[in-house]
Amino acid sequence: MTETNRNRLMLLIAIVMAAIYLFPLYWMYITALKSGSEMFATPPTFWPSVPQWSTYAFVWESRGMGRYLWNSLVIASGAVVLITVLGVGCAYVLARYRNVWVDIGLFLILMLQVLPASLMITPIFVGFSQLGMLDYPRLAVIIAIAAKSMPFFVVLVRATFMAVPMELEEAALVDGNSRVGAFFHIVLPLARNGILVSAILIFMQAFGEFVYSKSIIQDIELQPASVGLNSFMGPNTNEWNNIMAYATIYVTPILAIFVLLQRRIVSGLTSGAIK
Amino acid sequence: MPHSPSSGPTGHLLPAGERLNRMADAPSSISSRKGLSSAQAPGSPVRDVGGPVTRLLSSVRDGRGFDIVLVAFPLGFLFLMAGLPLLYNVLMSFQEVDMFSLGTLMRPFVGLKNYRDLFAQPETLPILANTAIFVVGSIAGQFLIGFGLALFFWVNFPGAAWLRGLFLVSWVMPGLVVGAIWNWILSGDFGVLNFILREGGIISANIFWRSDPNYSLYAVILANIWLGTAFNMILLSVGLAGIPADLYEAAELDGANAWQRFWTITLPMMRSTIGAIIALGLIFTLQQFDLFAAITSGGPNNSSNVTQYWAWEQSFRQYDFAKGATISVLMIVFVMIASVVYVRSTRHEVRG
Repeated sequence: MTETNRNRLMLLIAIVMAAIYLFPLYWMYITALKSGSEMFATPPTFWPSVPQWSTYAFVWESRGMGRYLWNSLVIASGAVVLITVLGVGCAYVLARYRNVWVDIGLFLILMLQVLPASLMITPIFVGFSQLGMLDYPRLAVIIAIAAKSMPFFVVLVRATFMAVPMELEEAALVDGNSRVGAFFHIVLPLARNGILVSAILIFMQAFGEFVYSKSIIQDIELQPASVGLNSFMGPNTNEWNNIMAYATIYVTPILAIFVLLQRRIVSGLTSGAIK
Repeated sequence: MPHSPSSGPTGHLLPAGERLNRMADAPSSISSRKGLSSAQAPGSPVRDVGGPVTRLLSSVRDGRGFDIVLVAFPLGFLFLMAGLPLLYNVLMSFQEVDMFSLGTLMRPFVGLKNYRDLFAQPETLPILANTAIFVVGSIAGQFLIGFGLALFFWVNFPGAAWLRGLFLVSWVMPGLVVGAIWNWILSGDFGVLNFILREGGIISANIFWRSDPNYSLYAVILANIWLGTAFNMILLSVGLAGIPADLYEAAELDGANAWQRFWTITLPMMRSTIGAIIALGLIFTLQQFDLFAAITSGGPNNSSNVTQYWAWEQSFRQYDFAKGATISVLMIVFVMIASVVYVRSTRHEVRG
């Protein structure tokens, strides 16, 4: 078999495997377009006979999705800002030195990121209720998410800083820059892409966050889209086309960001180890 | 990553990137760091002679103080928001906590009563067993499928990198959306999975994945395998890319076939990567919450309940915060052991 034929065959198999793997996603999009009777047809149809585009508008209106998505956006943005402001400097210091204190700090950070959110929520909730933080539920969720996700961000951004040649910073110091100046004018711009990708990853995570929001935010006006989807799915629901339309509206922006930045995100995740 | 990795990508969080980075440039980064400590002298402490305040300010602007300020705030924040809750959790597991004593710190101490009560409950052991099945089943599925895919995409062909990356969509989706989709796919009468299995002649009658106690846990495992496979694959791909190609060339010259090369080169060279990925899988799997909330809610009758969901249920459904805290403490101890194994396996790589 020639090289080209082999490549074509491999590509074909790869596309088939990707199609099988991504079938659940396809099923979400297709179900959202089916009518109430068509989705319960046996055998199921794999292409909607009459696409029901109006389902989207109906679900958006009836579930108040604008408010839910706005809350998700507020929470995710808040968490990203807080994490970035706190995490970048921490990652920089942990990348710049290599001694026993840095090792201890890294170890503690790695330990913190493994704590499951659903186990940490009990003490966080009780503590927040004692501090009166539950009166500002979205802020409380932002802080909780920041504490949960910052270790991940620090680990990723630290890898970025380690790729910045130290000689450049040293040269800036020799040229009379202060540490602050060298950090903001030399190191930070060089690490900008890595920081951005890590921030986007954190944003996507926070945008779908569920445990903290579900436990802390009681007021429906302030709940994010994940909690909204959860309350939409009652135990005996049969509105699957509407639920899938909700899921579609919720997840498509995230998927769009991912597909657009796929290369960057994957390599940021693996820190440039895949060429 | 979301999901979690987790949770995806929700609740999902991996130190893997860092590990891989170190793998890639450990020798060079160590040497450059040594170079730095000597070159750093000009920028170091006291350059001007002033009062203590001036000296402090100048240190913050231009010396060690700068590093300390940068690192103190985040670590302080993490201590307040992750370290303290951890300790508070332990404290509560020894106290009697109810809705009335929620507001005070000094609640009646009950010693080990919460722990004794926990193990006296009939559902405790089945739930622990479920957790073990969930963890082992999820990790085995994610890892084997992920490894298979990684080996396939290792053969370089045009478009391989892009298609491989596409698999990661499962990981960036909110866990609850993944759960909703699988909930619908796994539906008993109208689910598409039952249809496909029936058409394929694998089953003759519909399986009620979500409501049959014999299957409900496996329904969540299935969804979790789907969620985590891509992530396993990407990390395994990185490990595979790190194996020097000349090893295979040499083996081929010696007449080793593909199967022998896999067992004698690929697996041994991947040992530490595999160890780290399995430890990471354990950590992620124990963080999985959203899928349970979206697919079975732990039911029917706790048949698909696992500790991380149960702890939350105790606190936020039964309002028994002491019990929730007790379960959490037990699980956190377990997770920490797993993560020590993980951190150790990455350490080993750097030093070795």
